[in-house]
Amino acid sequence: MSFIIFFIITLFIAVIQTAIPYLVNRTVVFGVMVPEQYIEDKTIKKYKKYYSLSVALLSIVILVSYLVWVLSNERLDNQVALTGAVIEFALIFISITFYLYYHAKTKQLKQQNNWAENLKPMKVTDLSIRSQDEMLPWYLYLLPIISTIGLMIYTLMNYDILPNQIPTHWGPSGEADAFTDKTSFSAIKLSLGLLMMQLMFLGIHIATKKSGIKLSATSLESSRNRQLSLRKYSSWLLFVVLLGITMLMSYFQLMTIHPEIGEGFVKLIIPFSFLILVLIGTLIFAIKVGRSDKVMETTVEAKIMDLDEDKYWKGGLFYFNKNDPSIFVEKRFGVGWTLNFANPIGLVIILVPLTVFLVISFL
Amino acid sequence: MIIHIEAESDIPIYTQLTNQIIEGIARGEIAPGDSLPSVRAFAADLGVNMHTVNKSYHELEKKGIIKIVPKSGAIISSIEQMTEEKKQLIEAGFKPVIAEAFVLGMSKKEIEELVSGMLNQMKER
Repeated sequence: MSFIIFFIITLFIAVIQTAIPYLVNRTVVFGVMVPEQYIEDKTIKKYKKYYSLSVALLSIVILVSYLVWVLSNERLDNQVALTGAVIEFALIFISITFYLYYHAKTKQLKQQNNWAENLKPMKVTDLSIRSQDEMLPWYLYLLPIISTIGLMIYTLMNYDILPNQIPTHWGPSGEADAFTDKTSFSAIKLSLGLLMMQLMFLGIHIATKKSGIKLSATSLESSRNRQLSLRKYSSWLLFVVLLGITMLMSYFQLMTIHPEIGEGFVKLIIPFSFLILVLIGTLIFAIKVGRSDKVMETTVEAKIMDLDEDKYWKGGLFYFNKNDPSIFVEKRFGVGWTLNFANPIGLVIILVPLTVFLVISFL
Repeated sequence: MIIHIEAESDIPIYTQLTNQIIEGIARGEIAPGDSLPSVRAFAADLGVNMHTVNKSYHELEKKGIIKIVPKSGAIISSIEQMTEEKKQLIEAGFKPVIAEAFVLGMSKKEIEELVSGMLNQMKER
């Protein structure tokens, strides 16, 4: 079971990492802004191809070696899991290394060819863009939050029938493998952690909604399509993942109260289907958003370009712009969002619930 | 309505914003009663400081073109009666620009054509 889970996750990481150059915003190549006029450049296409080929080949080598290693001998479950975790990190490390290499190469290419010269930098927005935003409404989040509060009350009402040892951790097979003594705090600890997570997701949702809808002056229609798709589908994905987490954790909580509901097959299938839900959801999200600005033809106005924001992006990965009131901005390498690290509210939204969550789990 | 800002222009961003909103109303792309985005949303969408948008909104309010509604944004005002005072202000703005065009070599006819060309882009009311 461990092997299947780790193999699927690693395969998933490999596929996404390989496809990234073709899923990112059309005018950003390896974290470097390239004016619309030059995105069809031969060298750029070559860099993208080399990156994807290198990552794909190394991924295949790693995945095959993992498979051979597992099948060649009897391996302990925790050995398989540890190795699985190590190769996942190795894969991420490898793709970051290739990314940094091509980031530097693209930057150099842009400078050598003076791509930014003679083009007037423009910023653009549409006054009606906010009315086209299709993100989910925030109050939907009240549903899972109310359900969690209800679960806490239900747990405390059934305090007497709870076992003396409360499970605090579950292995990949859905079996509890760590316990703590029963107190009224430890009985609802899991639901409390869940509630913190739900509040954090709600905070992320609101912050995303308030963040800027960034349009491109040179490709107005395709950038509009991409930004609106990103916002819509990421709000769906966030909500679906939160529902999944809520169901999974509520199931564990209910299983502690009524052990009979977790017998046999269900125990195995529930965590596994959660994993599959998250992976497939993420894949659909990445493809939907990744394709959203590639389908339309754009006519480029000759003498303008988008304002070059490379100086706000450290390594093309981390965004620091204290003039931008946005808390989240679209990632440059990858599909999704990243924090504006110059905006303290963003750090608070992520760090506060995370700290509370960690404090609760170590108490 | 699409707002274009030249990022490296000598004209400050808030002035560009003000001018474009006024031009948008003149062309009929936005109409009295329409609301402009909140300062925060506008600034976030453009990726500029909130003060910049704020400054432009206050300038527009001072001119009587918009009405700022706390928390929700700004609403474009309906047309007011032209007062003698406002007329003088506009004349004082026109005069040096037209004089400059004339001194720099444009003929009276060229200036007239330029102005009527601009007027043609604006909505009749």
